[in-house]
Amino acid sequence: MALLGGYSAGSFPDYEVQGAKKVHFSPYADNGGSVMAIAGEDYAIIAADSRLSTGFSIFTREQQKLFPLSNTTVLGCSGCWCDTLTLTRILQARMQMYKHEHHKELTTPATAQMLSTMLYYKRFFPYYISNILAGLDENGKGCVYSYDPIGHCERSNFRAGGSAGALLQPLLDNQIGYQNQEGVDKTPLPQDRALAILKDVFISAAERDIYTGDGIFINIITKDGIKADKFDLRKD
Amino acid sequence: MSILAYNGGAIIAMKGKNCVAIAADRRFGVQAQTISCDFDKIFEMGPHLYLGLPGLATDTITVMERLRFRLNLYELKEDRKIHPKTFSSMISNLLYEKRFGPYFVEPIVAGLDPVTFEPFVCNMDLIGCPNEPEDFVVGGTCTEQLYGMCEVLYEPNLEPDDLFETVSQALVNACDRDAISGWGAIVYIIEKDKVTIRHLKTRMD
Amino acid sequence: MASERYSFSLTTFSPSGKLVQIEYALAAVSAGAPSVGIKASNGVVLATENKHKSILYDEHSVNKVEMVTKHIGMIYSGMGPDYRLLVKQARKIAQQYLLVYQEPIPTAQLVQRVAMLMQEYTQSGGVRPFGVSLLICGWDNDKPYLFQCDPSGAYYAWKATAMGKNHINGKTFLEKRYSEDLELDDAVHTAILTLKEGFEGQMTADNIEVGICDANGFRRLHPSNVKDYLANIP
Repeated sequence: MALLGGYSAGSFPDYEVQGAKKVHFSPYADNGGSVMAIAGEDYAIIAADSRLSTGFSIFTREQQKLFPLSNTTVLGCSGCWCDTLTLTRILQARMQMYKHEHHKELTTPATAQMLSTMLYYKRFFPYYISNILAGLDENGKGCVYSYDPIGHCERSNFRAGGSAGALLQPLLDNQIGYQNQEGVDKTPLPQDRALAILKDVFISAAERDIYTGDGIFINIITKDGIKADKFDLRKD
Repeated sequence: MSILAYNGGAIIAMKGKNCVAIAADRRFGVQAQTISCDFDKIFEMGPHLYLGLPGLATDTITVMERLRFRLNLYELKEDRKIHPKTFSSMISNLLYEKRFGPYFVEPIVAGLDPVTFEPFVCNMDLIGCPNEPEDFVVGGTCTEQLYGMCEVLYEPNLEPDDLFETVSQALVNACDRDAISGWGAIVYIIEKDKVTIRHLKTRMD
Repeated sequence: MASERYSFSLTTFSPSGKLVQIEYALAAVSAGAPSVGIKASNGVVLATENKHKSILYDEHSVNKVEMVTKHIGMIYSGMGPDYRLLVKQARKIAQQYLLVYQEPIPTAQLVQRVAMLMQEYTQSGGVRPFGVSLLICGWDNDKPYLFQCDPSGAYYAWKATAMGKNHINGKTFLEKRYSEDLELDDAVHTAILTLKEGFEGQMTADNIEVGICDANGFRRLHPSNVKDYLANIP
């Protein structure tokens, strides 16, 4: 045996023993996609690209990734699509239950808090989603909430997430947050300008990020309700 | 974590009208800890030729010195100034010699042709695969952010002053979203008859 | 290398300060077939004698005019086999340069490096100097170039020159015929005339070889082309 000790089992096929076979399984998939939201004085805009992909293959070019949860709240999701489906169905159920129990709609900030709790509930087997929630708060002011996969929640006026999040965010800091700009008057952002910036940056993201493209679905949330819109991006 | 992201740093180069810009942050750190804010990642390799070396700081210096060695020999041997394109081939050759034990730098070359003064930018990966686009190149630990910024801010045929503004905004805003880049920045605007060096003040956190 | 430990250079100084081995090499060159090179305003021409001792020889299968890169070519006077080795090395040097810089080697660079190689053979152990002088012509940056490389490793830039047998007469002839604004066609004509000086026997398209280099690169002239040039010579 000492003689054989120096050799690996593989070099003696006759002496090979059948061992336990390991099968690899990963519960997560990365289906790409980017989400972006901007909040204004009396509106909120949220947009998500419409490409659903895995690696180099595209499942569909027209996947809606925006989920209206109430008349004033829309959730945008990107990441693991199966987790998105599950999370949004539970969310919609919870919204329904709240409505039936309290006879009123859940406000956007309350929805935001609930989402955070729901994500943290799965702290050790998280939903692999980059969530951005947009809507109007109790005072009718636009608000945007962004999350990490385990429920850390932050309110802001603009946010980009998903596969092109890193490409988009510094631009928003600069163009909407006026970071590193001198001598600009920080007037509230008008809706048409927000929409223009949003389209511009998505076009740019589609240039460099292969998981973002095909088109974007846009939801504009105002006191009059949610207006849906669509915009084409490059499809390669 | 990648060795390329051990010290942090970001570099960008962009073409303009009869001019070219190259800019870098000035941080030298070890992972999350910042050591100094006056580290140079851009080196003058000729009157219209600049080299940026983002990546592992020790290799930044080594590669710069080995390239300067080769460049000096080239210019003595051939008795002429090197073209940016030829210089890029020289870098590519140097890096590929270490194909299986590479220098952890992703070089960026910016310059004007010594004869025609045509703007030139080029970048390559750590084993010397070259890329010569007609607009801009980026490198370092916040390339994603830089690409996002450049893709929106870039427009062709910018005058030197506008090019400076575009490059600076792209670099500074990208660095602000990267924890291991920033802490000051330096911008070189290379024109036919002058090179302007500007130091940028940025957030220091 | 251990095998080189006792291999001393064969090329050593004579008491008078001369390297006689190199002088012998030059003697071999001077005894070799004549060759000519002329720079014109729009190109360069190289020409050499390629005489055969027997009518049984197949003339156009082994050449003396060789291309090194697309834009550089060379010929020689002296010993054929030594020349083959230099051609091989020159081509290798040119390709190495291209590999590193992704740019064709300038003629001056190639000449410098070939000359360095020839010099090495005058100082290394166990070797003898090359028994050839080379004429290297090239075209870069819209300019023609013509160089001569000697066994010592010395190299010269010429407007026009002759080497090998009768080279003194050849040079005198060229001094009389050369002008700065020569066209390539006239240069070919002059080169052939120079060879004809002291040519023994009848000159035909089969016993001379001509190479030209211009903006389109280097090429060896086909015997039928050479024949056309010969037809214009009285």
